[in-house]
Amino acid sequence: MQQVLIRKPHVIGKPFPLIEAQKKLTGMTCYAGDLETLPGMLHARVLFSTRPRARFQLKNLEDARQIPGVVALITGKDHQARMGYTIKDRELLAVEQVAYAGQPLAIVAAETLAIADAALARIEVHYTDLPAVLDIAQALAPDSPAVHPHYQQYPGNDALNARPEQNIAHALTFTRGDTEQAFAQADVILERTYTAAPLQHAPMETHGGMAQAQPDGSITMWMHIQAPFLQRRIIAEALGMRPEQIRIITGCVGGSFGGKIFVSIEALLAAIALHTNGRSVRLLLTREEEFGSVFMAPAMQARIKMAATQTGRLLGIQATYDWNIGASVDASLFHLQAVTLAGTGPYAFPNAEIHTNAIYTNLLPAAPLRGLGIAQIHWAIEQHIAELAEMLHQNPLTMRQWNLIKGGDQLFPNFTMHANGLETCGLQVLNAIKWKPTRPQQSETPAPPALKSDKKVGRGMALSWSPIILSDQCGSSITLRLDKDNLCDIVIDGVDIGQGLYAFATQLVSFEINIPVEWITVQPTDTAKHPAYWQASYHNLMWSTGHALLKATAQMKQEILRFVGALWNEPITGLDIVDGEVISYASRRKLPLMTLLTEGSGDGTPPPVFEIKAMYRPPNIDGAIDSLLQSFATTAYAAEVEVDETTGGVTILQLAAAVDVGHALNPESVKAQIKGGMIQSVSYTLLEEMVFEDGIPQAVNFCDYPIATTADMPRQLHPIVVEVPQRSGPYGARDLSNHVQAGAAPAIANAIYRAVGVRIRDLPITAQRIYDALQAKKKET
Amino acid sequence: MKHDIQLIINGDTRTLAVESEQTLLEVLREDLGLTGVKHGCSTGECGACSVLLNGEVVNSCMVLAVEADQADILTVEGLATDEALHPLQKSFIDHHGVQCGYCASGMLISAKALLNRTSRPHEDEIREALVGNLCRCGAYADIIKSIQVASRARR
Repeated sequence: MQQVLIRKPHVIGKPFPLIEAQKKLTGMTCYAGDLETLPGMLHARVLFSTRPRARFQLKNLEDARQIPGVVALITGKDHQARMGYTIKDRELLAVEQVAYAGQPLAIVAAETLAIADAALARIEVHYTDLPAVLDIAQALAPDSPAVHPHYQQYPGNDALNARPEQNIAHALTFTRGDTEQAFAQADVILERTYTAAPLQHAPMETHGGMAQAQPDGSITMWMHIQAPFLQRRIIAEALGMRPEQIRIITGCVGGSFGGKIFVSIEALLAAIALHTNGRSVRLLLTREEEFGSVFMAPAMQARIKMAATQTGRLLGIQATYDWNIGASVDASLFHLQAVTLAGTGPYAFPNAEIHTNAIYTNLLPAAPLRGLGIAQIHWAIEQHIAELAEMLHQNPLTMRQWNLIKGGDQLFPNFTMHANGLETCGLQVLNAIKWKPTRPQQSETPAPPALKSDKKVGRGMALSWSPIILSDQCGSSITLRLDKDNLCDIVIDGVDIGQGLYAFATQLVSFEINIPVEWITVQPTDTAKHPAYWQASYHNLMWSTGHALLKATAQMKQEILRFVGALWNEPITGLDIVDGEVISYASRRKLPLMTLLTEGSGDGTPPPVFEIKAMYRPPNIDGAIDSLLQSFATTAYAAEVEVDETTGGVTILQLAAAVDVGHALNPESVKAQIKGGMIQSVSYTLLEEMVFEDGIPQAVNFCDYPIATTADMPRQLHPIVVEVPQRSGPYGARDLSNHVQAGAAPAIANAIYRAVGVRIRDLPITAQRIYDALQAKKKET
Repeated sequence: MKHDIQLIINGDTRTLAVESEQTLLEVLREDLGLTGVKHGCSTGECGACSVLLNGEVVNSCMVLAVEADQADILTVEGLATDEALHPLQKSFIDHHGVQCGYCASGMLISAKALLNRTSRPHEDEIREALVGNLCRCGAYADIIKSIQVASRARR
């Protein structure tokens, strides 16, 4: 006879504070720059190139090495190595020729920072400039020099769909139906070009870390990064070592946004540590170096052509998305897959032809920025749809609704769309800003009058979707341990970068094993303590780690019950764990787990230690990009803006974003992520542009590269959570934080158009661009 | 050249010998181990290194240590007592006023200075008080809410 016990309200779906919040708020968190230094630690500095494409020679190297206090100084000639995740298109240190301004030429380790700086200052770099390729048009021009003339000699040269002589680093295509026929049948065809500026990840904490060679020839690295296993592999390959010979210990990350996933300066730090006789070396980048020599987020140029009927039915799309990915491609691969899969926008075009091209230039290598390019492609699509609706005198909401993808739509040969809340998201954001769109010729609820007559108010919307990709590398591994010393330890291969991963892991383990959250500690990733895996890193983190944790906790519970079952001589089917106590439904016996772990079973044997290692591997895939698809996150934005016609200045009065997260496991944290994504989106939309002059980064501080402050915040923010469960996700949840990024920019652009009648098709939407467009419009009329 | 200076740090008087070119930020982090004060830009643009100097918010990367001689300095480490968190810290935890956390100590310091001046600040005043503290996670809305709630709780 089984007793029914009601489990107390569970922690899933309930507010849960961020793990480490208290440490972060009392100044006790250890970021990379706060690492306790080891005795005899040296300071490293890097010499970066100041030319985008040139042959070069380094002079006075011996003088620099002779400066007292300089312990090691290495150049590309001392340590020739190529690195990369697929194609090895980057040099550890440039050897004869630089491929971008900001490329490392030498690294020095010295007793003090001042001595390291003095050594770099002693080196003279003699450049012989070569014609550089700086933008997409230049790169694709027939007579343009190749950014990588020796591509065919690089390891991994067959990994990608590249045409290096044309500066195409990788090209992906997706087609459905027959677009030419669609265009022949269309009532209207609209063709436009849109651009988006290169950006910066701009984490508040710059890149940095510490490394030390060990007596056995291995290297231990303390690197506060997002993807330690990925970096371990790339660094090991670059240095001719086995991955196990590189140990990466992670810690708290002061913001990443995609900039701390792929290897930038980390391999250099490992290389110099091999030359310092076992002394540890620390490298911390300055803000200028962070902006000018790590990564940029790629610039986009999109050509969009859509065909529609007079009644607003979308017939076909041809879209080409060209990305300026700088001098190295491999950090951009997920980005390219994502934008290809999402390239139609969230609309069921019967005919589609999507081309995505990654284009090499002599600029900083690109790495994906939060959102994987999804923000940029919707910048194009959602303005295009709005303009098409206007041309056809259609209501911008209903025209979108007619054409929306729906659950059950067979979108790709290997993927059928799941139930989703996109339409709900759209309706909710409109409701939040109290806007009912209508056909252009009808009068709609007027926007509230602007305070001054030269200011006009307008409202706009955008829908978006964002693929959650699970490539075969995106598994996750977990070690779960219950013992006397730490009670419950979770070692997790994903890194908490402020998004709340550790809180999620704690909630899940507490709920699944049914133990108090206070017992649980999440340990930062240490590659030496983990089953090796590529690992979950960003947009699928909750998904991959969640599945691995579900496996681990199920096994852990079985393990504990088996132990107690043997002790009590009872079958485990009658046993359970409730609120941290092992109970028997049959015999009514109880044993607090805490007692078992700390005192043992009372028979004189030492307390048991339970340890489970579990791994989640994504389903086997056949290599087609659509088979990487796990799901689509869907998002809607609505904006109400005020535009000053005299200056072109924009004030965002209201911004609403709704995201279908499947199931909000930590509702306040989900809302915090949505609000953060909204602010970041406003920042990309109105303020940010990584400026280069002749290939040399110019915006290398927060004055020249402004990011949103409290002064740039919309007056009102409406974050909205929509929950249409993802059946395959942990507790029905879907990953979130990347997917908030799409839609803010086009919603704001559409609102600006409705306010003052000008369309800005280049990001960022600066006051200057609006002003110029208004002047041009005046001249026309 | 070394200079002897005296600082009152979080209530404790400390005497130090500092170089002319050392910034207050360097002295706080490296000589005094107060690593809760963060380095973000070295040029006074990001506010991660904010401390209170005689009650006023300063970017400690823009102040030479010798200039701070005899000053009363409050860093994030001095907000909580042995017994309890400061109401601002508590409120930031409860209302998700922290994500990656790198800007948090500077935010708390700017908020503390504001609440010292104005016990019940309006939202606009909070926005203005935080304008020199950058947060790339974009947590501003929850930071503002955290400060509002803390200011109400204080009364």
